[in-house]
Amino acid sequence: MAGSALLAAGHRVGMAEAEVRTDPEVEHEHGSPWPFVIAVGAAIGYVGLVISLPLLVFGVIVFLAGAVGWLRDDLHSVSRAVYGTATAISAKFRHVSDRKLAVWLFLATEVMFFSALIGTSWTLRFRNSYGLPWGMPGQVLDVPITALNTFILFASSLTMVEALASIERGDQKRMRRFLAATLVLGIAFVVIQAREFYTLYFVEGLTFTSAPDGLNPLYGQTFFIQTGTHGAHVTAGVFALLYTTIKAWKGGFTKENHEAVELVALYWNFVDVVWIFLFTIVYLI
Amino acid sequence: MTPAKTPTADEAPARSFWYAYVFLIAALALALQLYVAVLSPLAYADRVLVLVGLATVMAALVVAYDMHLKYEPRWILLIPFGSLALVFVLVAALLASSGSAPPP
Repeated sequence: MAGSALLAAGHRVGMAEAEVRTDPEVEHEHGSPWPFVIAVGAAIGYVGLVISLPLLVFGVIVFLAGAVGWLRDDLHSVSRAVYGTATAISAKFRHVSDRKLAVWLFLATEVMFFSALIGTSWTLRFRNSYGLPWGMPGQVLDVPITALNTFILFASSLTMVEALASIERGDQKRMRRFLAATLVLGIAFVVIQAREFYTLYFVEGLTFTSAPDGLNPLYGQTFFIQTGTHGAHVTAGVFALLYTTIKAWKGGFTKENHEAVELVALYWNFVDVVWIFLFTIVYLI
Repeated sequence: MTPAKTPTADEAPARSFWYAYVFLIAALALALQLYVAVLSPLAYADRVLVLVGLATVMAALVVAYDMHLKYEPRWILLIPFGSLALVFVLVAALLASSGSAPPP
């Protein structure tokens, strides 16, 4: 009796496991500790920011350790079944996955962030403190080189979406090539901008507190804060692209499982959109 | 749980058809911007209007086609444009309240 009861119970458990395995609606928990480590690191870092530098450094170290651990785990878990089919991608809202919705919400905060930076710079320009003029196009900034950099960013947007289109068709080889091309173009943008910053600061004399040719000293401040913040975002995008490219080379994306490529493309195209306005406002107006 | 929408085999090529055109239009608009900013005899106010207009067209194309906003559900528009509207109000208020301040 006891044996048959055990067998029956075992059969029920086996059936339940089979249902879990085959039901695409079931959410599989990965159980990774790394997001928790990242959150703890961020909390320590924020407290350290207020009360103690060593605590801040410790928090940053814990944060980075968590991030590296999480990325390493993800890099080794290629094409998991949990993300294997379209129906396994969770979505609380119709037709938009949770992860894509989260990226759009993040981009909304970025829209507000950059708009605040640009709006503040415009206000300072129109307020015209010190009664000194702003730089005109080409007066201090190198417009042709930056136009070339803008073209490079446009080209990187094209290669990024072509990478996405490639994996949507299941063409792994083409996706890898386009991702690598996007990475190279992204690095080129950052290098050219770094060279421009160096020349402006050390050769032209455009600093945080002064500007050449009798220009308004706020010109340098607003220039560096706007373009520097954007450059930091591009640099973050380059790291995201580097990770995505490495994962692509390891076979981490398939025709059915490539949402990460689309999300990185969303972010990358967003920094392109921001640059379109920054180039116009900072360099051409 | 609602299944997320992923592009079907038919939809993906339809979207990617526009990528090269968006790039070409953006490149042409960039060239036009350079001409207007450096060589054009337009008055400053007109120049600003044309430059910002061209930038808006370029950005709209990238958002619509490269970021696929054209193919997303309409309510997604509320997220980026809602935040943009809020910022416009705040920046307009900032600009309106900023008179000519004396040097510190």
